[in-house]
Amino acid sequence: MRRLTRIRQIAEFWRIFQDPVLFIGLVLVVIFIAVAVLAPIYKMVEESRTEKGQELFDRYLTSPVYQTIIENTMRMGLITAALGTALGFLLAYVQVKVAVPFKRFMHIMALVPIISPPFAVATAVLLLFGRNGMITRGWFGVRYDIYGLDGLSLVITLSYFTVAYLNLKGMMLALDPALDEAATNLGASKWHIFRTITVPMLIPGIAGSFLLIFVEAVADLGNPLVMGGNYEVLATRIYVSIVGLYNTTAAAVLSVILLVPTLVVFMIQRYWVSRASVVSITGKPSGTPQQITHPLVRWPLFALAMSVCLLIVLIYGVIIAGSLVKVINVNNEFTLDHFDFVINGYGAAAMEDTTKLAAIATPIAGILGMLIAFLVARKKFLGRSALDFATMLGIAVPGTIIGIGYLLVFNRPNVIDLPLLGNVTLIPKLTGGRAIGGGSIAIIMVYVIRSVPAALRTGVAALSQLDPAIEEASVSLGAGNVGTFWRVTLPLIRPAFFSGLVYAFARSMTTISAIIFLTTPRTRIMTQQILNEVENGRYGNAFAYCVILILIVLTAIVILSAAVGTSSGAERTVEGGA
Amino acid sequence: MSETRTGRLVLDNVCKFFTQRGGQAEVRAVDGVSLDIQEGEFLTLLGPSGCGKTTTLRLISGFEMPTSGMIRLDDNDISFRPPNKRDMAMVFQSYALFPHMTVFNNVAYGLRVHHVSRAETHERVENALDLMSLTGLAGRRPNELSGGQQQRVALARALVVEPRVLLFDEPLSNLDAKLRVQMRSEIHKLQRRLNITSVYVTHDQVEAMSLSDRIVVMNQGRVEQIGSPVEIYRRPVSRFVADFIGRANFLEATVLSVEGERVTVRLLGQTATANVNFKPQVGDTVIAVLRPEALVLRADATLEQCMVDQAMYLGSAVEYIVSLGDQRLVIMETDPREENVFAEGSTAGISLIPDSVHLLAE
Ligand SMILES: Nc1ncnc2c1ncn2[C@@H]1O[C@H](COP(=O)(O)OP(=O)(O)OP(=O)(O)O)[C@@H](O)[C@H]1O
Ligand SMILES: [Mg+2]
Repeated sequence: MRRLTRIRQIAEFWRIFQDPVLFIGLVLVVIFIAVAVLAPIYKMVEESRTEKGQELFDRYLTSPVYQTIIENTMRMGLITAALGTALGFLLAYVQVKVAVPFKRFMHIMALVPIISPPFAVATAVLLLFGRNGMITRGWFGVRYDIYGLDGLSLVITLSYFTVAYLNLKGMMLALDPALDEAATNLGASKWHIFRTITVPMLIPGIAGSFLLIFVEAVADLGNPLVMGGNYEVLATRIYVSIVGLYNTTAAAVLSVILLVPTLVVFMIQRYWVSRASVVSITGKPSGTPQQITHPLVRWPLFALAMSVCLLIVLIYGVIIAGSLVKVINVNNEFTLDHFDFVINGYGAAAMEDTTKLAAIATPIAGILGMLIAFLVARKKFLGRSALDFATMLGIAVPGTIIGIGYLLVFNRPNVIDLPLLGNVTLIPKLTGGRAIGGGSIAIIMVYVIRSVPAALRTGVAALSQLDPAIEEASVSLGAGNVGTFWRVTLPLIRPAFFSGLVYAFARSMTTISAIIFLTTPRTRIMTQQILNEVENGRYGNAFAYCVILILIVLTAIVILSAAVGTSSGAERTVEGGA
Repeated sequence: MSETRTGRLVLDNVCKFFTQRGGQAEVRAVDGVSLDIQEGEFLTLLGPSGCGKTTTLRLISGFEMPTSGMIRLDDNDISFRPPNKRDMAMVFQSYALFPHMTVFNNVAYGLRVHHVSRAETHERVENALDLMSLTGLAGRRPNELSGGQQQRVALARALVVEPRVLLFDEPLSNLDAKLRVQMRSEIHKLQRRLNITSVYVTHDQVEAMSLSDRIVVMNQGRVEQIGSPVEIYRRPVSRFVADFIGRANFLEATVLSVEGERVTVRLLGQTATANVNFKPQVGDTVIAVLRPEALVLRADATLEQCMVDQAMYLGSAVEYIVSLGDQRLVIMETDPREENVFAEGSTAGISLIPDSVHLLAE
C-alpha cells in the first residue's frame, strides 16, 4: 500500500514532463533569468564583500562626504516619490472624477514622459529655467540657479510620474461607482466621500506608486548627471567610479549601499500591490462614475492639471525647437545641421545599432513576459513565486548595478572544468572589447531583463481576468499546453502583449544607466551619444537625437499596433461568454 | 484512437484531498468514490454545494490528479493521463467559449487540434451547427449570441470531436428558467440519439431526475446512493437522500409484523406495508418517509386530526402545511376540486395513500 502511494507520487511528478515543450520552456526561462538577472547581481554583491570591498564599506559609511551622498539620494528619492505620486494622483483624479474639458489632451500629455529620452527633459528644463533660462532670465530677469535638489526633483518628477498616473487611474476606474452613490445616498458630501472612501480605497495604489517612483528616482543616472550640480547622489558616484576611476570594487560597494534601500522598498511595494487586489475585487463598475461639477473644485483642479500639461508641452517644444535652430536662446537661426549631423554623420550608425538591438529585444521581452506570466499565473510548480520575484528584480535593481554586474560576470568567458572534456566555455565573453557581437548580446540581454517585468505584470493582470475554464476548454478538446498558449491564451491577452511590446521598445530605446558601461566602439547607442553631446554642451545635436529617437519609438508603436493590433481587441471582454 | 471506442468509465475508490495553504488541515473533497459508468449511460452527480461534484468531474477530465484510487476508461488506467489525451470533452458552466473566435472556429477548434482535414472539418462543423440549430450564426462572435445560443455552441464544440465521454458541469445554471427547461430537453434528446457516455453535474434535482439513467447522490465527498431516478425518489437509502431529493415528511412508525422483507407498521392511526432491506423486530420504532403526495386531507372525524396552517392553491395542485402535535407536515394534493380545499385554520383528517410509504431503519 505504501509503495503504491509512492508510485503515484512519482507518476504525478512525471506528469510535468509529459508536456516536454512546456517543461523545456520552463527550464530555459529559469536558466535565462538565472544568467541574465541573478548572476550579475550576485557577482556584484560578491565583489563588494572582498577584503578590499569591506575596507571601502567601512570608509564610505563613516566618511561625511559619503554620508551626505547617501542622505542626498534618500532625500531626493523621497521628495520625487511624493511629488510624482501627487502629480499622478492629480491628473488621474481630474481625468476620472472631475468634469473638465481637454481630457484627451491631458491624458496624452501624462503619457508622453514614457518616451522621454534621458537628458532631454533635464536639458530642456535647464534651458527654460536655468541661470540663462528663457523664462527665468528672459521673462523675469532673474539668474536662478536650478542645479541641485530643486531642479533635480522637478525633472525626475516629470520623468516618472506617469507610473503613478496609470496606476491610480486604473484603480479609480475600477472603484465601483455604487460606493460613491451609496455614500451620497447616506448624505455624505463630495469632500467627505473623497476623504473617507476614495483616498482610503486607493491607499494601496498610492503606496505602490510612491515606492515605484522612489526606486526609479534613486536609480536614475541621466538627470543627476545634467541637473545635479554639486548635489551628488549614489548613482552618479557609481558612474564616476567606473568611468572616471576604473574602480569596479568601489562601484560595487556603492551599488550595494544603493541596493539595500531599493530592495527593501521593492519588497514593501510587492506587499502593497498584493493588498491592492483586495480593492479591485469590489467588482465590475456598475454605471458611470459621478463627476464633480462644483466650480470651486473643478476650475482650480483644472488649472493645476492644465499647467502641468502645458509645462510638458513647453519642455517638448524646447526639445523640438532646440533641434532646429543653431544654438537655442543664443542664435535662433533655423538650421537642419543638427539633423544632418545625426542622420548623415556620426549618429547614423547609432540610430541603426540602437534600433536594431531594441527591435531584437522587444519581441523576446514581450513573449518572455507573457510566457512567465502564463507559468506564474496558471501552472503549479515549485519556486513559482521565486521565478516571479527574480524576474521583477530586473527592474527593481538600479540600472547601474545591472551594468556593473554584467561587466563583472561577462567580461571574460565563463568556463567550467569538466572531468573528461577539459575546459568548456559555457558563456563566451559578452562585454568589453573583443566581446562577441561587439557586446551587442549583453546589451540585448539588458534590454530584455529591463523590459520583461512590465510585460510580466500586465500579463498576470490580464490572465487574472481571464476565466481559466477557457483554457481548460481548449485542453479538454485535445490541445496541449503549448497549443493552448498560442491559440487561446496569447490572443486573449493580446492587449497586454501589445503594451508589453511597446513598453519594451520604448524602454530599450531610452535606457542609459544599465548599458552605459556595456557599449563598445562597435555598438553605438543613441542614449550614450546624447550624453556625449550634452556633456560637450552641443544641445542642438542632443535634441536632434532626442527628436529622432521619439520619432523612431512612435513609428514602432504604429507598426506594432498594425501587427499586433489593440484598438478593438483591448476593449473586447475576455470572459467565457455573456 | 486505435482503441475501441466504447466509453465505459470506471472510478475505483477515488480520493482527492486538498491540502490547505498554510494550515495542515486536509479538505476531503472526494473521499472514496467508486462508480461504474456503462457505455452510453447518462449519469448525474447530484448533491449540495461543496459535496465534491465538480472535483469528481475534474478528476475524470484530468484537470485534477487523484490522491489515491484509479480511473479507467475502457480498461485503460487513465488516472494520470493529461486531460488533452483523454478523449473526453467538457461543457463548462461558464461555457468557456473562445471569445476571439467565431462560432464556426469555436466548433472547429477540436478538429483542427486533431489535424482533421479541411473538408472534413467543414462538413462536421456544419453538421454540428445544424444539429444544434445554429445554422446562420457561424460567422458571429460569442458576445453576439444570446445565453441559450452560447450554450448550444458550447455543446456543439464538445460534440463535434465525438468524444468517448461527455462531461457537463452545471451547464444550464446560467440560463433563465424557461430556457433551462428547453435546453434540458434538447440535451436529453441529443444524448439518447448520439448515445455518448455522459457525466453531468448539477444541484438541480429536477434536472437530474429528468435527464439521467442513474443518479449519484453525493454528500461530503462520499456517495450516498446510486440508482435510477425512480429508485432514488421512491426508495432513498437515508434521510439525507430523502430530504435532498424532493420533499419528504419523516414520521415515527411502530413495526407490527415482519414477513421476510415485507414489514407492516402502524402510523397516523393506520397500518401500512412496505419492502425494506434491513431487519427490524416487531415493536421496533422505524422512520417512515412520506412524500407530500403520499398524504391526503379528508373531512373525516375518524381519522387522526391535524390543523391546517397554510393552504396554497397552485392551480394543478394544492399544497398544505399542517401541524400534527408538534410536527409540521407538507401535503400535496393534485387535481383539487375547489369545494374540497381546506381553509387555513380549519382542522382535517389526515390519511395515507396505500403503498406509498418507504421505511428507514433510522
Ligand atoms: N483547489 C482546491 N483547493 C482546496 N480545496 C478545494 C479545491 N477545490 C475544491 N475544494 C474544496 O473541495 C470541496 C468540494 O468542492 P467542489 O467544487 O467539488 O464542490 P461542488 O460539489 O462542485 O460544489 P458546488 O455545487 O458549489 O459547485 C469544497 O469543500 C471545496 O472547498
Ligand atoms: Mg461545482
